[in-house]
Amino acid sequence: MKEKIQSPITNVSTLDNYQIRDYSQGFSWWGPSPEEARKIMVKKPKALSDKRTTLKEAVNKYVKDGINLAIGGFVNTRPPVATIHEIIRKGAKDLSLSFQSNSICPELLAGAMLVNPGHLSIKRVELAWWGYEVIGIAPLFRHLCANSMIELDDYTNYGMAARFKAAAMGLEFLPVRDHGGADMELVNRGKMIESPFSGKNTYLVPACYPDVGILSVTAADQHGNCRIFGAHCTCPEIAMAAAHTIVTAETVISNENIRTYPNLTEIPYTAVDAIVEQRFASYPGASYGNYWFDMEHILMFRSASEEFRKSGNADALKKYYDEYIFGCETHDDFLAKLPYKTLKKIREMDGGQPIILS
Amino acid sequence: MSEHTPFEMIAYTGSRVLEDNTIVFVGTGLPIIASIHAQLTHAPGLGIIFEAGPLTPILDMGMPLSVGDTRACRKACFLKGLCSVFELTQRGHADYAFIGGAQIDMYGNVNSTFEGGTYKAAKTRFPGSGGAGAMAANCEKSIIIMALEPRRFTPKLQFLTSIGYGDGTPDYREKSGVMGSGPYRVITNEALFGFDDATHRMVLLEVAKGRTAEDIQKKVSFELLISPDLKEMVEPSDKDLKLLREECDPDGYFLARKLK
Repeated sequence: MKEKIQSPITNVSTLDNYQIRDYSQGFSWWGPSPEEARKIMVKKPKALSDKRTTLKEAVNKYVKDGINLAIGGFVNTRPPVATIHEIIRKGAKDLSLSFQSNSICPELLAGAMLVNPGHLSIKRVELAWWGYEVIGIAPLFRHLCANSMIELDDYTNYGMAARFKAAAMGLEFLPVRDHGGADMELVNRGKMIESPFSGKNTYLVPACYPDVGILSVTAADQHGNCRIFGAHCTCPEIAMAAAHTIVTAETVISNENIRTYPNLTEIPYTAVDAIVEQRFASYPGASYGNYWFDMEHILMFRSASEEFRKSGNADALKKYYDEYIFGCETHDDFLAKLPYKTLKKIREMDGGQPIILS
Repeated sequence: MSEHTPFEMIAYTGSRVLEDNTIVFVGTGLPIIASIHAQLTHAPGLGIIFEAGPLTPILDMGMPLSVGDTRACRKACFLKGLCSVFELTQRGHADYAFIGGAQIDMYGNVNSTFEGGTYKAAKTRFPGSGGAGAMAANCEKSIIIMALEPRRFTPKLQFLTSIGYGDGTPDYREKSGVMGSGPYRVITNEALFGFDDATHRMVLLEVAKGRTAEDIQKKVSFELLISPDLKEMVEPSDKDLKLLREECDPDGYFLARKLK
C-alpha cells in the first residue's frame, strides 16, 4: 500500500493536530470487514422464499447492541421511520450509525439516547449531513456534538454514497474526486495516495459495510425485489452493502409484476432479508407517488428537541416518545393517532405522481 | 421601483450570474429560487440537478423544500440517486455548484461543519458538508451565498468543508485531486465578489446602490481586492420581484425571512 500523503490542506484552516484523526492506531472497520460481509452473504439461503414478516420480528432478529446501522432515504425522502420506531421500542446500545443526509431518523435515535441512555445509545456516526433543511438545524445532533457524546466521521454526500457503493461492489475502497484539500481529509477515515498510474494525488474513501441496512421503498414483492420511484437516494447501494437489510414497502406487489418489468427492480431479492408491508412507513417523511412530508409533525418533534437543547428540560421530548413510540405496538398504532385530514393532505401534496405497480 | 428584501437581492443576483444552456447543481433555499428565476427570464435552457437524484426536472409543482422531494423530482429527464448525479459532476456535466455556508475566506474556501470549540467538541455544530464539499470540488464553477458579516468573511476558517482555492497556490486544487476550476462568485445582498485569476484572492466586483468599496471592506475581516471596473449591483425590477414573490417562492419560505 502506498504511504499516506496529503494535499497542502494544513496551510489553510485553524484546525490543529489535536483535532486531526489519529492514524497511529491503524484502520479498523466500523462494521463487518469485506470478507466477513461476503461470508454472511454466501451463507444465506438464496431461495425465492417468502420474506414477509413484522417489523417487531425483523428488528428483534437483526438489530443487536454494537451494530453498524445504515439509514436509507435522504433527509425527508423515504426515511425508514417505522423501522426506527421499532428499534427505539426494542432498544440497542453502542450503535454506529451510517448515512449520507438524514433528518428525523437519527434525531429520533438521538432523542431516545438522551431520554434513556440505558435503553438506546449511539457510539459513533459516519455521515455527510444531519439536519432538517428548510425546517432548521437538528437540535439533538448539535447537543450531542457540543457535549462530545458521539464520535464523528465526516464525509461529503458523495463520499458516503461512494462508501456504500464500494461495499455494494465488494471492494475495500473507492477513489473519489472530493474531500481532498478540505479538512475532511484530516478528520475522516479516508486517505490520500498517489495514483499508481498517473502519480497524481487521489483520495480514497473506505467502503462502508453496515451490519444492518434499513430502507423504505415504494414497492417490493414477497421475496424482496424492490422498486423505488422518485429519487433513489443511495438505497440500492445500502441494500447491497449491508450484511442484512430490512425493507418496508408501501405496497407488496406480485412476483409476476416484478418479472413483467425486470429493469424496474432496483434492489434484487438476494440483498433483502426481511420485507414488511407498511403504508406510510416513512411518515412524517415523504414517499414519492404516495405522500409528501408532514412539516407540522416534524416541527412538533423538533420543538420538543429544541426545548431540551436550550433548557435541559426533557418533558416535552419524553412525552413525544411516550405518546408516539412507546405508546404504540406497531406503526399502524402510530398512524392511528394522526388525524385523517393530515394523511389526506400529505397524499394530496404529493400530487399522485405516476408509479408502476403492475 | 418596489422595495426589495436582502434575500430577494441575493436570489436576483444569483439568477443574474447563471448563464443560459448550462447545468446548475443546487441545494434547497435561495439557490433554487435563483435558478427558477433564471429559467423564467434569461436562461430558459438552464438545467437543474438536485443531489438526491434528479437531472433537469420541471418544477411545475412549485419550489422543492427538500432536495429529494416529489417536487424536485417532478418530470425530470433522468432520475436515479446520489452516485449518479455526483458522478456527473466528476465527469464535467455540471457547470455551477450553488452552495452556502457559515464562513468563507479570501480564497473562497467555505466552512459548514462547526463554529466554536473544536471538531471533537463543537460549540455550534452545523449539519455538515452534505453535498456542498463534493459540489465545490467537482462542479466546474462554485457560486457561494454568504451573509456579509465580518465574522463570516474570515481570514482563517475553523474548518474547511468545501474547497475553494485552498492556500491560493496555483496548483492547490490539482494537488487535492479535485476536477472543478473553483470559486467563481460570492453573493451577498450588498456586494458581489469574484476571484483574481493570478492570486486566487477574492475581488469586489459590484456594490449595492449607495454603498462604497470601503463600506464593504468594513464588513470583511480580510483585505479585499477591488475591481478597477467596480460596478453597481443591478436591482430587481418590479417584474423580477413579482416573479420572485409569486412564482419562485410564493409561500415565502426563504424570501420572507428577515436577516439577523
